[in-house]
Amino acid sequence: MNITYILKDSYHIMQKDLLALRRNRESVAALIILPIAFLLLFGYIFPSATTEQHMPMGIVNLDNGQASSALVTQIENMNKNSGAMNIVNYSSVEEAKTQIDRGNVYGTFIIPPGFSNNLTNGKSGNLIVYVDNSNPQLSSSVESAASNTITALNGMQAEINVVKMGSTTVNAQSIVFPFTQNIETTIPGKSNYFNFLAPGLMIMIVMITVMTGIPEAISKEREMGTFDGMLSAPINQISIILGYTASLCVKGFAQVILVLAIAIIFFGVTIQGSILLAFFLLLLGIFSFVGIGILAVSSSKNQATGTTIVNLIMFPMMFLAGIFFPIQQMPWFMQDISKIIPLTYAADAMRKVMLLNANISDVIIQILILVAFGIVTMSLAVILFRRSMTT
Amino acid sequence: MTEYALELNNITKKFGDFTAVNDLSLRVERGEIFGFLGPNGAGKSTTIRMLCTLAKPTSGSALIAGYDLIKDPSKVREKIGLVAEKMIMYDDLTAAENLRFFGKLYKMPKQKREERIDLLFNLVDMQKWKDTQISKFSTGMKQRINVIRALLPEPEILFMDEPTLGLDPQTTFAIREIIRDINNNGVTVILTTHAMTEAEALSHRIAIIDHGKIAALDTPQNLKNIISKSDTSIFKTKITNLTSKMVEKIRSLKVVTALAQQDDNNLKISANGMGALNQIIDTIRIEGGDISSITNSNEPTLEDVFLTVTGKEIRDHVNEKSNILEHNSNPQTRVR
Repeated sequence: MNITYILKDSYHIMQKDLLALRRNRESVAALIILPIAFLLLFGYIFPSATTEQHMPMGIVNLDNGQASSALVTQIENMNKNSGAMNIVNYSSVEEAKTQIDRGNVYGTFIIPPGFSNNLTNGKSGNLIVYVDNSNPQLSSSVESAASNTITALNGMQAEINVVKMGSTTVNAQSIVFPFTQNIETTIPGKSNYFNFLAPGLMIMIVMITVMTGIPEAISKEREMGTFDGMLSAPINQISIILGYTASLCVKGFAQVILVLAIAIIFFGVTIQGSILLAFFLLLLGIFSFVGIGILAVSSSKNQATGTTIVNLIMFPMMFLAGIFFPIQQMPWFMQDISKIIPLTYAADAMRKVMLLNANISDVIIQILILVAFGIVTMSLAVILFRRSMTT
Repeated sequence: MTEYALELNNITKKFGDFTAVNDLSLRVERGEIFGFLGPNGAGKSTTIRMLCTLAKPTSGSALIAGYDLIKDPSKVREKIGLVAEKMIMYDDLTAAENLRFFGKLYKMPKQKREERIDLLFNLVDMQKWKDTQISKFSTGMKQRINVIRALLPEPEILFMDEPTLGLDPQTTFAIREIIRDINNNGVTVILTTHAMTEAEALSHRIAIIDHGKIAALDTPQNLKNIISKSDTSIFKTKITNLTSKMVEKIRSLKVVTALAQQDDNNLKISANGMGALNQIIDTIRIEGGDISSITNSNEPTLEDVFLTVTGKEIRDHVNEKSNILEHNSNPQTRVR
């Protein structure tokens, strides 16, 4: 076994594979379309950071006092300015409920009779917020918008009351709102979901390319018969694995650069950390995934089986690795599963480096886990691959 | 330099319960063209794959160009070339790029590699197609490239699995010319075929192989002599109202050693001993058969030999692709 020859042969195989790729327009298109499709899909289907705007909301005033109609006007004006809710007036609760059932409004404010009387008699004026909670996500948006509205109205009214009580010497706002807050974040500027998503997405795209690429390439060679040409040539079988891995690395890196460019240009993603360290993590990710791909192709007779095995492993990894949803939000048993997935560590390290400017010592545990995982799967893969080659 | 190009000792290959190659032992001398002749599924391809290090024998040993197949496969690989049934080339690359890639895997120095590629393109008269993508080639053109690809590293032994299967007569002829040509330059050629004419036209010696075993091994002429020297006679007969009952009656005769039904009317019968012809004619007449012709071939062909040694007929499929399924459902190759 001569290392120089193994590496040279790997290089020739990579060169051959990339040349074939360049000649095949469909393969080039597939290589480019996959990351773009993923990016756009995941960039737009998830709820954005800001809450929903222009939610249709009813209002029913059953009181005929002065205070209630002033409140209705205030709610209408406030939402006209903020754009949070579109307010529609209904004359009866029944009418409002019918509109809710038809899905025309998400909920309604109900001002009960005697509202104005309560206020003039020094009591609190209670109003009902009736919400359609058949869609939990929508109902919580509406609830928070409604309660924001009420809080704001309370504040305004309280300030007016303070002024009426005659304390003109003090700032009315500091009496009503003695505490205020300024939020500062690790990432300067406004954070968005895409900032969270981009690092994980980059590593996931590389994973998909490598894990599906290996079975695809090797099964294709096997079925075409070209594999016999390589196996009957005086080369080490390791060269075939290395050659294809190298070729897939090149393809994966091309995709990553594309993803990064789109993320920066269209989604305003910023990179805080070292790009070099990020690329090193990508390489490490490839090293830890490629073994799984080779294991799959070695234990299957044809391309269909190989691809099925890879998909079976890949899909849970995609969703449990905390790329789309934070792992902390998952139930405990799912969190345990995500801890044995290498993609979890790769995505985590990638996010820390890209978003938090972490250095290599901050992510050393993740790196060690990936290396260990890679060594185990690769060793198994090489043994199985060699055995499957000479049946 | 060792005496033999191939030396096989009790090579056996099993796939589960199925024995594809059964205790094969033979020697092939350097400079020979050696043919494995047999129907699909006889074990020819499996044998070639084992000898090219692509499959491991279940038991047995072999020396290829003097190197141990099991212990020293990488040395074996340096000495052999393979023309497999599935063509070894990448459709997206040009003809020259394909050769160049494999030349690199064989560690050929650049200058020598390019010179040899030029020479080989001239050999198959395809110099002007050098930089054309394989996907644009016809089957015949592809097979020429497939052959010179195997010849690129100057192998001592060239293995060819069905080298003319599915080719037009013109290309078939050209490929055979190349095989003779390289053999004259000292290359040992091991080929498999299920075409009688091919085996006969090319091989110095032929091994008739059936069910993974050698049924007969000799020069084409000596194989034919098996028939002319023995009491065995081959009859061809045409019966206008041939029935399956009639076929079974003839088959059950003691003098008949093998029988092949060629189509609705024609039979080929291998028979032994005195009075065989009379018995066959009597049987046909008793069954009410209407014999329109009967001939006794004086000059036996390899096809007759195959019928005699294996008890079944091998069809000349030289210009048609066939597969195992077709083969099994083919009444003409029914095993006695």
